[in-house]
Amino acid sequence: MWFRSVYLKTLRDFRVPILGWGLGLGLLMAVVIAALPTVLATPAARAAVVALGPAFAWFAEPVKIDTPGGYATWKYGLTVLVVAIWPILAQTATLRGEEEKGSLDTLLSVPLARARLAVEKVAAMWTALLVFAVIVGLLAFAGTAKASVDFGLGDTILFGVNIALIAAVFGAVALFVSQFVQERRTAAGITAGVLLVCVVLDMVHRVEPGTDWISRLSPVYYYNLSKPLIPSYGTNVGAMLVQLAITVALSAAAVWLFVRRDLGDTVHLPGVSRQPKAMRRPVAALPVGDWTLRSVYARSLGMIAIPTLWWTLAIAGFSAWMVDVVKQTASQLRSILEGSPVMKDFIRIGGSDAASNSGILSALFIFAPILLMSFAVTQSNRWSADLEDGRLELVLSTPQPRVNVMLGRFAALATATVAISLLTLAATALASSLTGVALDGGKLIAATLSMIPLALLVAAIGYALSGWLRAAVDTGLVSFLLVIWFVIVFLGPGLKWPDATLRLSALYYYGTPLLNGVQIANILVIVFVGAAALALAATRFVRKDLAA
Amino acid sequence: MTAVIKTEKLTKDYGSGRGLLDLELEVQEGEVFGYLGPNGAGKTTTIRLLMGLIHPTAGAASIFGLDCWRRAVEIKKVIGYVPGEPSLDPNLTGGQILEYFANLRGRVDRAYLKQLIQRLDLDTSRKFRHYSTGNKRKVVLIQAFMHKPRLLILDEPTSGLDPLNQQEFDRMLIEARDEGRTAFLSSHVLSEVEKTCTRVGIIRDGRLVRVGGVAELKDIRRYEITISFAQPVPAETFEKLEGVAEVERLNDGRTVRLAMQGAADAVIKAAAQFPVVSLTSYEPSLEDIFLRYYEPDGKASKETAGVV
Repeated sequence: MWFRSVYLKTLRDFRVPILGWGLGLGLLMAVVIAALPTVLATPAARAAVVALGPAFAWFAEPVKIDTPGGYATWKYGLTVLVVAIWPILAQTATLRGEEEKGSLDTLLSVPLARARLAVEKVAAMWTALLVFAVIVGLLAFAGTAKASVDFGLGDTILFGVNIALIAAVFGAVALFVSQFVQERRTAAGITAGVLLVCVVLDMVHRVEPGTDWISRLSPVYYYNLSKPLIPSYGTNVGAMLVQLAITVALSAAAVWLFVRRDLGDTVHLPGVSRQPKAMRRPVAALPVGDWTLRSVYARSLGMIAIPTLWWTLAIAGFSAWMVDVVKQTASQLRSILEGSPVMKDFIRIGGSDAASNSGILSALFIFAPILLMSFAVTQSNRWSADLEDGRLELVLSTPQPRVNVMLGRFAALATATVAISLLTLAATALASSLTGVALDGGKLIAATLSMIPLALLVAAIGYALSGWLRAAVDTGLVSFLLVIWFVIVFLGPGLKWPDATLRLSALYYYGTPLLNGVQIANILVIVFVGAAALALAATRFVRKDLAA
Repeated sequence: MTAVIKTEKLTKDYGSGRGLLDLELEVQEGEVFGYLGPNGAGKTTTIRLLMGLIHPTAGAASIFGLDCWRRAVEIKKVIGYVPGEPSLDPNLTGGQILEYFANLRGRVDRAYLKQLIQRLDLDTSRKFRHYSTGNKRKVVLIQAFMHKPRLLILDEPTSGLDPLNQQEFDRMLIEARDEGRTAFLSSHVLSEVEKTCTRVGIIRDGRLVRVGGVAELKDIRRYEITISFAQPVPAETFEKLEGVAEVERLNDGRTVRLAMQGAADAVIKAAAQFPVVSLTSYEPSLEDIFLRYYEPDGKASKETAGVV
């Protein structure tokens, strides 16, 4: 059945990830919706949450956040955007990835029009996202079984559809971008950057009054206009149609370009001249003085340099911006954090209070290590993919010990994370100096440098799993682990989860170094587990059969 | 002579009957050993076991007396390797790839490296992703030869090369052989094996079914004689003769094609009783021998049993 058409074959390729993402997000929503009535049981708790809303408006618009639907929509308004990662990866792999592998040459040797092929692949993606929406909707509705809520199955399905729509938008962006670049990875990286920019653009109007017109440029803005779990707010059909229109327009443009360009080539932008091939003379020279070619470590650094630059801009920029956010809303935040049992719990993870700028910033700063850990996920994926694609075979035909090859790559990643952390430190210190938000220098150093072991832990786990699992499964698992860790520290204290459960999250051990400095024992736990994962990775890599 | 490559009951079991079984093989110093077999026979598995990229399920393989798995790093100092499906960083130029591998290997004579680049006419300024299949093959060939290794392990080395570059590769291989270096190459290009190899091994379904010198293999007494007579001749004339394996009478009734295995003396004497218009003898090429080994089960082994 699955091999009857390109559409069905593509759908078959999507079945595992779509079930994984659907079940993951659906179960998360079910747990949250089931538990929220307990969290919001007392009038005091509800009042505290309501008071908290405006201060965190930059994160998501607070609407009826003292109801389970409102609270879930608010708290997960932004985080559900991680769902967009899968369509980005899938859509860049669909046409551009298959061109890279050469499999599209074979596929197009059958009597099948290019446009038909591309349309079937796009249709498969949309179908998969629809299935995802239904899974999320059904599971979210299942969470209401024992909770008193004011929304029904139709609303939870619409909630799923809204997420699927925003995911489809970024999938379409990825498909469009991949017509202009030679590599799948580049297209995915650019689209991830576009996603980040769109998230920030959407935030702008909630931070700076009168900037609605800027946020309207972002598809995320239209995603946030629908809140199906809040019946009084409802679903904005127009906004959903805007997302659908963007998806259709970008997908159609991508298919149009794909049909017209050379297979394996990119769309030639007007004004970008190319040297005619006939003018080129063969060169027999070798590069001179290229330091990146001197060793596995140096080459790995060369490979990681460009992604490091982009991630540095994102992480350091985010951290500096958080300082500015604290400056903008310091007094409001301080009073709320001190009076809010929910946020007190959240901050208490590191054993702290909210009485200072550092305390407030500390609560927001948790996103910086998460971003750095996400960078580590992308780099462990690259190792895993190189292993799977056989790119290490020729390197290992040279007299380089396997363990050196692996540790060389890991050391380059470690160097990159140190560089990102140091530049984040510099950016945050500069922002602190410019805005006048006083921060303890030593603790700021602790907060930024403590991110390094966390990122390396994630990478080491990814490296270890690559010894047994395919790259896609490995990356999926590590990403899922990261999401779970985040959910535990973000949600656990509010839901009164036991300390033993909170300790399962690596982020728990990060604590609030901006406030309390380095907690050596906690950092040592991360270092120890990371070292054990790396040792396991090395042991496995030294012994395993290399993929053919 | 010293055995450069030695395998003892080397086995790699992938399950479902796939893999390599009890391979016993020796390749002597200075030999160019051709390793033949159809797709999935176990050629690449053997090569990857020798390279220490995968470890054996049972048995052992050694190169220069060193265990291929445990002493892989030492062995690779003296090996040049061409994988069957080379995968390299698509963003590096050919020149960058060669410089990188020269650095990883160490002690590479850059002048000789440039000479190889010129011999194979490689444009080193292009990115690997933009190379044609043939040019990609050139890059991996150059990196395999650039440090003048004592042993070359080459998996389908000329796949994708144009005839001119195939000839240049043949010359490079013969030069290596003349310098006393050893090569182990798998190939489907049998003419190339005939030209460059001193010995050949044939592998089928994971088992080595035949090893011998190229000349020895061609000496299998299975060949064809086609005789045209002036008038029709009864086919039975040749059927019971010594050395005749099969008789085929062609459509005109005056021509017979004889599949021979052994001396032709009896056939010549029998044919002499009739007026002969023409007589041609066709000696098998290595390709014919190779294909015979892959005829349906039973047939090949029966016909070649006891030969060589």
